[in-house]
Amino acid sequence: MESASLPLGRRHRGERRRSLLRPLAFMSLPMAILGLFFLAPMLVMLVIALQYGILSGQSGFTLTNFSDVLGDELYREVALTTVQIATAAMVIQLLLAVPLAYVLAFKAGRWEIPLLLFFVLADELNPMVRIYAWRMLLGREGLINSALLDIGLIEQPIDALLFSKFAVIVVLSTSYLTYTVIPIYAAMKAIDTNMFEAARDLGAGWWTTFRRVLLPLIAPGIFVALLLVYIPLFTDFASPALVGGTEGYMLGNAVNDLVLESGDLNGGAAMSMLMLLAAGVFAVIAYRLAKIKQLEQ
Amino acid sequence: MSEPMIVLDRVSRSFGELCAVDDVSLEIGAGEFFSMLGPSGCGKTTTLRLIAGFEEPDVGRVMLAGEDVTLVSPRRRNVNMVFQDYALFPHMSVAENVEFGLRLRRVARDQARERVAEMLTVVQLEGLGQRRPAELSGGQRQRVALARALVNKPAALLLDEPLGALDLKLRREMQLELKRIQKTTGTTFVYVTHDQEEALTMSDRIAVMEGGIVQQLADPRTLYEQPRTAFVAGFIGTSNSIRLEVSRREGELAVMELDQGMRVVAPDPGGSAPRLRITVRPEKIRIGGSSNGAGSRIRGQVVERIYLGSLSQTVVEIATGERLVVHELNDDEAAAVAPGDQVTLSWAERHSLIVDSDDGPQREERS
Repeated sequence: MESASLPLGRRHRGERRRSLLRPLAFMSLPMAILGLFFLAPMLVMLVIALQYGILSGQSGFTLTNFSDVLGDELYREVALTTVQIATAAMVIQLLLAVPLAYVLAFKAGRWEIPLLLFFVLADELNPMVRIYAWRMLLGREGLINSALLDIGLIEQPIDALLFSKFAVIVVLSTSYLTYTVIPIYAAMKAIDTNMFEAARDLGAGWWTTFRRVLLPLIAPGIFVALLLVYIPLFTDFASPALVGGTEGYMLGNAVNDLVLESGDLNGGAAMSMLMLLAAGVFAVIAYRLAKIKQLEQ
Repeated sequence: MSEPMIVLDRVSRSFGELCAVDDVSLEIGAGEFFSMLGPSGCGKTTTLRLIAGFEEPDVGRVMLAGEDVTLVSPRRRNVNMVFQDYALFPHMSVAENVEFGLRLRRVARDQARERVAEMLTVVQLEGLGQRRPAELSGGQRQRVALARALVNKPAALLLDEPLGALDLKLRREMQLELKRIQKTTGTTFVYVTHDQEEALTMSDRIAVMEGGIVQQLADPRTLYEQPRTAFVAGFIGTSNSIRLEVSRREGELAVMELDQGMRVVAPDPGGSAPRLRITVRPEKIRIGGSSNGAGSRIRGQVVERIYLGSLSQTVVEIATGERLVVHELNDDEAAAVAPGDQVTLSWAERHSLIVDSDDGPQREERS
């Protein structure tokens, strides 16, 4: 899994020219499609982000869209909330994914493939359906509140379960679990299980074995999971829009509102570009970390 | 044997229907190089894992240095294991691998460093402490695995087919090397292998296992020269056995008369079995009859002769249709025979080893 995403260096320098030409030829069609449908709209976005007053007729190029977004106290707060929510959801997903991947890789036996399929299918569930399912669980009259009321643990339903930061974290924590589990599972499958026995034989308990043997060996998988999951978490807007209320308002919603509510296409484009930049920086760091970890082995 | 280091006391372990270890009792002495030899599935690895603590016996006791450790977890047992594929930690350097156990035992850092360096010298890996396992050859990894286990000064070192992944030449070198390290450190070695040559080369004593049972426990020479069962005779050395009717018993000897004045003489195992299975080691047989009349003489036809460098191997088919393999040194006295020749084979009576296959396996009494 990781080896596919992290290309190895070329071995024969002499053949470099010829060996580069062939893959380029193979890739020309996909590259053209990417360029046309992916890069071109992005360029259009960049141009819009640098323009002002398209609608008023008096248009020109400016950097004020960026400085407006960056200078706005409110957006800085939203950015902070976004980072908090995305990070919390990521950490929770990793905490869930590592034991899940462990069970899948080492303990599931003949259930390994069915369970893996289940994870893939769970991801196929429509996000809207999933989010509404969570609303039914977390709501004032939802399953959790009624259950807690029934057993007498609480006297009043807990309102903070829904339309809060908490709700967004809960919903996001489950939305990308498949993409967190699978790279970690793949990294675990590559481990020789004798190593766990060797660690035990040398006096290590489960925690030491986890920290000093398992964790370093699955680190590349964890970084791949970060790469795949943290960026969509950071830019998500459906979950906060449906369960976030005002407290769980994220950058994705801000872009949405700028464009669709305020009609400020330029501002929305500028904010999108800034988010893209942040995601890019994050991706480079995660990629580097994954690659370094892999080279170490 | 003085104080035994490891005692298995009537230990059994089953996996579902399969009885991997069946009522095995063993005593392994301190400082001994002890091997468990047998084909795959004979129970040798399970026995080793019982000593290591990775398996718990269904019944029986495991004693280590006089203490009952049957239910003690492997991390608290003062034994260390060398795994078949080494199981080195790929993300740690050689030195970190070796230091792993010491740090967990809370040995101070300076002292741990010193012991790691010392151990790397013993296994001849000085100066390679900073390398990663992936940067080492198979033989070097093997040495790291040894060092990682031995640095903890275990009461016994358990080795699970540690040379299986190496090529023949390296394996031979490592056999001598293992023996040297065992002598240097004075550690008790418990060695599991399916390679009889390996076991014979290194071991003080060998337990030959089959079907979860110890078939015979003895020093290499006794195993080779006095195998107690047909399985042991066949597994150690070339299987070379014939089955014959007993004609008469003369004092200590059983005599099996054949046509044309030929006969096979063997030490009488006692009892009144009408037929005996006899094994003769290939190098004990001479081609050409001995003149003094004593011992065994048997006629047959040469079906194959192979030149093996220092030896010649001749396969002779006797009247019963059974075949005997003969090894002769290629010195000046070697017989010049060719396929199709009629020859007489002879051997002294003490070289007729009785291994009655109907006898079944025998339990090893405590030594």
